[in-house]
Amino acid sequence: MGDIVRVQTVEHAKQNPQYAQALADLLFQLADDDFILAYRGSEWLGLAPHIEEDVAFSSMSQDMMGHAVMCYQMLEDLGLGKADDLAQLREAVTFRNAILVERKNGAGEYNDNPHYDWAYAIVRSYVYGLHKQVRLEALLQSSYEPLALISRKMLTEHRYHLMHWQVWLKQLANSTPEARHKLEAAITKVWEDAGELSSLGQNAEHIVRFGLIAGEELLRQKWLSNMKDIFQKAGLSWPGEPGVPGEKGRAGEHTADLVQALATLSEVYRMDPAAKW
Amino acid sequence: MSMEAKANENFFIYEVFSQKNVSASFVHQFSLLAPNEEVALTMARENFLRREPCFNLWVVKRDHIHGLPPEERPFLERLDNKSYRETKGYGDLQARWRHHKEQYEEQQKHAGNGS
Repeated sequence: MGDIVRVQTVEHAKQNPQYAQALADLLFQLADDDFILAYRGSEWLGLAPHIEEDVAFSSMSQDMMGHAVMCYQMLEDLGLGKADDLAQLREAVTFRNAILVERKNGAGEYNDNPHYDWAYAIVRSYVYGLHKQVRLEALLQSSYEPLALISRKMLTEHRYHLMHWQVWLKQLANSTPEARHKLEAAITKVWEDAGELSSLGQNAEHIVRFGLIAGEELLRQKWLSNMKDIFQKAGLSWPGEPGVPGEKGRAGEHTADLVQALATLSEVYRMDPAAKW
Repeated sequence: MSMEAKANENFFIYEVFSQKNVSASFVHQFSLLAPNEEVALTMARENFLRREPCFNLWVVKRDHIHGLPPEERPFLERLDNKSYRETKGYGDLQARWRHHKEQYEEQQKHAGNGS
């Protein structure tokens, strides 16, 4: 741990293939998490409980897609392909997002009788957001300085996102028994997947050894302790240790939900990847 | 939006005011529907302040704003015969100051040449 080298440029990063590999592995996790959850958020367009929330949610999803773009751009700089191609032309097995972010918004399809679960949207966004906060704060110390820099930028916008979902959680927690019941059901559902968020994947050892980000256990403890505080303040009972899904998203194992999401989001791009936009 | 009928009972109109920077006045921007102040503040930023810089926000329930009905608005009128209440008499102060300063400097220059 004592031999962490500060890396200021992409050229410097590429001089050590092991370092570049660890960096790319981490960047795919960050990019794919934000990209896929932002896509799920965009599927709420026109379906949120009221028009003000509809606009706000869409705007936040755009923010998050912007965060993903910054990460895909860094992967492009590392020589791994065009950012747009990385987002839209990869197959599901190469995605490194956690399973939590790829789950469908609820019953039905966007174009076919959608009965999405608003409580699930709130809890998923908030639990993910709290984890992202811890992750971004840890990235401020990253040995790869361009990553520390974009993390600072993301934190600026992320502050509002967290506050937004916090407000909604409070609304549901202090509302009618029906709202409370839906909230608790959503917590149970999110909890089944949430444990995977702090996984750094198969190359975790290198990612941490090169000082790219703090270790999984550290991130996890900090995140859990922040969540315990929030649950307590909202008067919600602590659901215990979060579970992990059967598939390992960080290892490229995904559900049919991701395959469907990728097919939809890249449908137009795949028609003519060379087209100028 | 599917909850519109039910929403109307629990949602109120809030007027939103924003301040561009620390020394600017609050300016009325728009109104929105929300169940309470907290949600109104949360929605205001993303709905209307995505492009403009914004330093601070106020939300006020529309019911808490009291205005004048048309028939009472005439009480705002007054006669135009009290120009002493206006500050336009000070409008040329800078020009006058410049004039006297130039005159003084001109005098000083001549006095200097004379010695």
